[in-house]
This record gives sequence, structure tokens and C-alpha cells, in this order.
Amino acid sequence: MMSLRQAVLILLAALVPAGISALVNPRRPPWSGDALLPGEEKLKTVLAWGPKVLWVDARSQNEYEAEHVPGAVLLNLEDWDRLFPRFLDRWSPDQKIVVYCSASSCQLSHEVAKRLEQSGVSPVYILKGGWEEWKAAR
Amino acid sequence: MESGQVTTLTRDSARSSYARIGRFLARLVLGALFASAGALKIYDPGAFAIELERYQLVPWKIGVVTANYLPWLELLTGICLFLKWFERGALLLVTLLLGIFTLALASALVRGLNIDCGCFGHALVSTGTVIPILRNVVLLLLAGMLWTKYR
Repeated sequence: MMSLRQAVLILLAALVPAGISALVNPRRPPWSGDALLPGEEKLKTVLAWGPKVLWVDARSQNEYEAEHVPGAVLLNLEDWDRLFPRFLDRWSPDQKIVVYCSASSCQLSHEVAKRLEQSGVSPVYILKGGWEEWKAAR
Repeated sequence: MESGQVTTLTRDSARSSYARIGRFLARLVLGALFASAGALKIYDPGAFAIELERYQLVPWKIGVVTANYLPWLELLTGICLFLKWFERGALLLVTLLLGIFTLALASALVRGLNIDCGCFGHALVSTGTVIPILRNVVLLLLAGMLWTKYR
């Protein structure tokens, strides 16, 4: 019983700084779920860029072969050494690269984008919502 | 007193000293880990909310509330445990939170989600879900060791 009483006190005490942080922290999450992570872009924005976009599919080969954004290049971390030269054959420096994976919850697009930037390729963007977002918009 | 009794008493007292040292270390490890996990996430609750979204367990708005609240709760709980303030309450919370975190990680693993734990925000290297689950099991064992004090 004592443990429970003390736990409730700690739970209540944490409400105070958490409440203040929720009001004043400049990095607090927005109440709306449309927040973009650094480097992420919405599909609408990417489509507005027109043909100067090179789509990069960061999912597995099987998923890519089943369906992908028209013109997309397959490039994932599993098979980076084989796929990266193929990507370089398709890429020209005036293109904007947009990486996508399955959905918002996947991290592959962020990892591939990071690896591309480390390899000296830029600018690299990530499609918010990934393949699911693309498919829903079609 | 016979020599056999003296030997038994000495052995019991050594065992109880080891148990005390073990509990002391367990308390420090758990307190420090919780406090640091909270402190590392407090700076950027926005990024933590996105980490939570990747688990696909709760709607975004609940994730926002959690991202604002949980790091402070972890920090406070860790400090309380470390400094032995409201120790039993802090231990109860540590045990419950570790249980919840482990279940969330296990559910992500079962669903095949390719995500990071997010336990320490973006401060540490990518760990996936298996290593954090194993780490949590060890931490739960440490918490169990602390509970033996209140038997």
C-alpha cells in the first residue's frame, strides 16, 4: 500500500514539469499527426517538383518487384554494394532524390537517405508515409 | 557457542553482505539508467513522439501526451530510486514501466516492425528490438533483486 501511495506521488509530481514542457518546449510534438521529421517531404510537395525527381525504393527486392513507384530505383542496405552502382548509373546531380519505404513507421528510408548522404549524394529527401502514402494517393 | 554454529553464522553474515551490495548496485544501475533515459528524451519530445508512432500501438495524440510526460516520469523515478526517496514507489514504477516497455518491444518484434527501441531518444546507436528486450529482462531481474528487501 505504501509502494502504491509513493508511486502515485511520483506520477503526480512528474505532471508538473511535463505540463510546463508541453507548453514551452520549442521541440514539443505538434498536436496534429502531420509533423515532418528532418529531411521528410509530403507527397504533394514531391509531385510538385515534377520530373527532376529520382525515386529510390528502400524496401526489399521482393516488395520492389511486386510493386513500386514508376521509375524508382531499388536501393536497400541489405544489398547496398550491388545496388549502389546501379543507382549511380541512373542518378544525375541535378536530380532530387526521394527515398521511400513501406510506411511512416518504417525506418529504412531514413537509413538509406543517411547512407546516400554519407556517400556524397545530395539532396536526398524522404517521402512522408512511404509507399502506403503513394498507393493511397493513386 | 560451538565452532560449527560460528561457521554458519559467519557464512550467513557474508551472504547477507553480498545481498546488500548486490541490491545497492542494482539500485544504482536502475536509478541511473532510468534518469539518463528520461533526461536524454526531455530535450526533444517531438522526436520521441515520432519514435512512439513507429510502434503503431497508440494514436498520434496519445503518443504526444506520452512523449511529453514519460521522459519526466523516468527522470523523476530514476532520481528517486537512486537517492532512496520514495524508494518503494519508485521501484514499483520502474518494475511496471520495464514490463510495459518489454511488452511494447516484443509486440514490435512479433509484428516484424523494423524499428529502434527509442529508449534513449536519438542519443545512442541503433539497437533494433532484440537487444533492448534482453536488456530489459536483465533490468527486471535487478528490480526483482530489490524487491527481495521488502519480502
